[in-house]
Amino acid sequence: MEILEFASPRTLDEALHLVRDRHGTAIGGAAWLRMNTKTMPLGVDLSELGLDYIREANGSIEIGAMTTYRELETSPLLEARFGALFRNTVSHIVGIQLRNIITVGGTLAGRYGFSDLNTTLCALGAKVVFYPGKIADVASFIQDGEEWPFLIEKVLLPVSARASYQQMRITANDFPIINAAAAWTGSSWRIAVGSRPAASRLCKKAMVLLGNEPYPSDEKIGQAAVAAAEELQFGSDIRASAEYRREILPALMRRALMEVRG
Amino acid sequence: MIITLYINGKKESVECQPGEMLTEVLRRAGYVEVKKGCDTGNCGVCTVLLEGKPVLSCSYLAIRADGKQITTIQGAAKEAEEFAHFLTAEGADQCGFCAPGFALTVLAMKKELPNPSEGEIRHYLAGNLCRCSGYEGQIRAIKKYLEAEHA
Ligand SMILES: Cc1cc2nc3c(=O)[nH]c(=O)nc-3n(C[C@H](O)[C@H](O)[C@H](O)COP(=O)(O)OP(=O)(O)OC[C@H]3O[C@@H](n4cnc5c(N)ncnc54)[C@H](O)[C@@H]3O)c2cc1C
Ligand code: FES
Ligand code: FES
Repeated sequence: MEILEFASPRTLDEALHLVRDRHGTAIGGAAWLRMNTKTMPLGVDLSELGLDYIREANGSIEIGAMTTYRELETSPLLEARFGALFRNTVSHIVGIQLRNIITVGGTLAGRYGFSDLNTTLCALGAKVVFYPGKIADVASFIQDGEEWPFLIEKVLLPVSARASYQQMRITANDFPIINAAAAWTGSSWRIAVGSRPAASRLCKKAMVLLGNEPYPSDEKIGQAAVAAAEELQFGSDIRASAEYRREILPALMRRALMEVRG
Repeated sequence: MIITLYINGKKESVECQPGEMLTEVLRRAGYVEVKKGCDTGNCGVCTVLLEGKPVLSCSYLAIRADGKQITTIQGAAKEAEEFAHFLTAEGADQCGFCAPGFALTVLAMKKELPNPSEGEIRHYLAGNLCRCSGYEGQIRAIKKYLEAEHA
């Protein structure tokens, strides 16, 4: 990665100006960006903006864009509110040395098909906050994107939820070949699937099928798991065929739903 | 541009390009014990401790390390050597290329986790690939090393 000019703004206003008006590239952990062979005229470092936090504020859990995956998996607040959810979501990703670098903001901005975290964020009904204040559903943003250039400031989560994340990988440390997350929000079910290999999507028909019953029967769970596989599109790549992904998904989804239901 | 790194307790002013990764800058400054393997963030061989935390130097922007403490395997030589006795005793050090990154991660784990289970050890070390040993010897070596430390 070659960067011709490097700026370390100290305020979000300055960072936004550099990204929007001077077409600078926002730099999160840079672990993904660095594999880019293009020359970057202006790199905008986001590490001096105080965007590294996990806290409760204004009725939400707020996670700053520069928060690392290792911070997600070791956060006592996230553990207290969501149990092992974040640990289970990120702990398969390479190793802690990489997870000490990669960020929530870089993950969201990339809308990567293979993302583990984005599937969990979709199921939780997370919101993404673009500086200076526009808020969007993570699931809609992942599906439709956002007018470029943008600067992600933070993510908002509900203060608690019962949720589960499931994934399948061919080998440890590789990208998942399929992943699924389910959450009971207190009034309804939200379920999402990612690594299809395309990006995470909500399974809206299956969510309607589950309705607002907090303890669905095994039969209902089985139906919803199959419905989720039927309503989504799957693709083939070097890791797995579309048919294989469709076949595996109901098992993962059943596990996720049963874990949440208890 | 010139940045200041505190490498193994020694203050060093080093030249770096804005897009350069820490491995390159450390090796150019003579710290060739920091190995370069996959150079894509997958193998763990380039691990250094940054303010005590293990990071992949191949995937960490050098410019962000300005003013920070970095420990390479030379900076942890005494502890690493103690651990290395256990590795060799278990036949777990073969070509040795993975050893610097591996030993630094073990030392970071020892500080972070007071009494790790085997599952926790495997999880903490998952980012350190070794093409020779098959990992079982390494796990035995770590367990014996930690037992000896606690004895
Ligand atoms: C070797 C390797 C293996 C991986 N394996 C997995 C895996 O198995 N599962 C998985 O889910 N993920 C995996 N990832 C991806 C990882 O989880 C991150 O999603 C990815 O590295 C991006 O995060 P980053 O902090 O490095 O972002 P960067 O590389 O810094 O940025 C990525 C993109 O986001 C933009 N950006 C960054 N921050 C912001 C912001 N605040 N606002 C606006 N735009 C922004 C950048 O301009 C860039 O376009 C892997 C990454 C690597 C390097
Ligand atoms: S050289 Fe850094 S992870 Fe392989
Ligand atoms: S001993 Fe050869 S790579 Fe580990």
